[in-house]
Amino acid sequence: MSLKLKELNVGTSLPELKRRVTQEHINLYADASGDHNPIHIDPEFAKNTPLGGTVAHGMLILAYISEFMTENFRQDWLTSGNLSARFKGAAYPEDTVTVSGKIASIETQGDYAIINCEVICQNQKNEPVIICSTKVRVKTDEDSS
Amino acid sequence: MNQQKIDFSEISTGYEFEPSEIRLNSEAVTAYLNAVEGDKSIYEQDKVIPPMAISALAMAALAGRLTMPPGAIHVSQDLQFLSRVSIDETLTSHARVNRKMERGKFNMLTIGVRVVNKKQTTVLTGETSFILPFS
Repeated sequence: MSLKLKELNVGTSLPELKRRVTQEHINLYADASGDHNPIHIDPEFAKNTPLGGTVAHGMLILAYISEFMTENFRQDWLTSGNLSARFKGAAYPEDTVTVSGKIASIETQGDYAIINCEVICQNQKNEPVIICSTKVRVKTDEDSS
Repeated sequence: MNQQKIDFSEISTGYEFEPSEIRLNSEAVTAYLNAVEGDKSIYEQDKVIPPMAISALAMAALAGRLTMPPGAIHVSQDLQFLSRVSIDETLTSHARVNRKMERGKFNMLTIGVRVVNKKQTTVLTGETSFILPFS
């Protein structure tokens, strides 16, 4: 789905995105990104580290945030998206993470609206995995498409 | 990637890494979207590359240029998507050490990344920060 600009106000919550983190997806991400750090893909190695097991790449979880923004803002996000993320915790295989967010502010700049959102990705225990501020530019005279 | 790596201890603020070439074909984009469970229709419709796929490869290129001590933690990531990139476009990633500082028992390292297309138009910029233990 995508949101229409007229539906957006400060405080508006954006539709959530949920993902179950699996070792299979972590392995697929390792192959797709070329990041084969054993902390992500080698359970034997990872169990002897302070993390106690393999964890998802931070950039994989950040990709969920980008997918969340893409679902909500479509092409506007792909061509003008801006994010500032802080990694707060690890996501483990079999965790379910939820990305949620709301509109923090809307600024008008000429024919465009700059929509600032506060976005958080949490695990099933409501522990933060990533906290993120995002910004997207949307034309004011037409709906986000 | 066949390239020279530099150790973290040898770099300082202002150091510029050798540029890296990035190219994503449709198979690579599909592999990426399968990994992140992304909505393929958005990208297939216009044959564009998910910008996070570009940033993932820029990070991988950086990892291929830099050796960091065990225990390095990726603490933050800033990204700006500036332009659409089509499948099979050839991109070049430039990376520079924006800050390297000592903080107690740790080092903090911030690296700026800029990805350009063949026309030298910047399509993506970012800044990535790590905390690294003294080794």
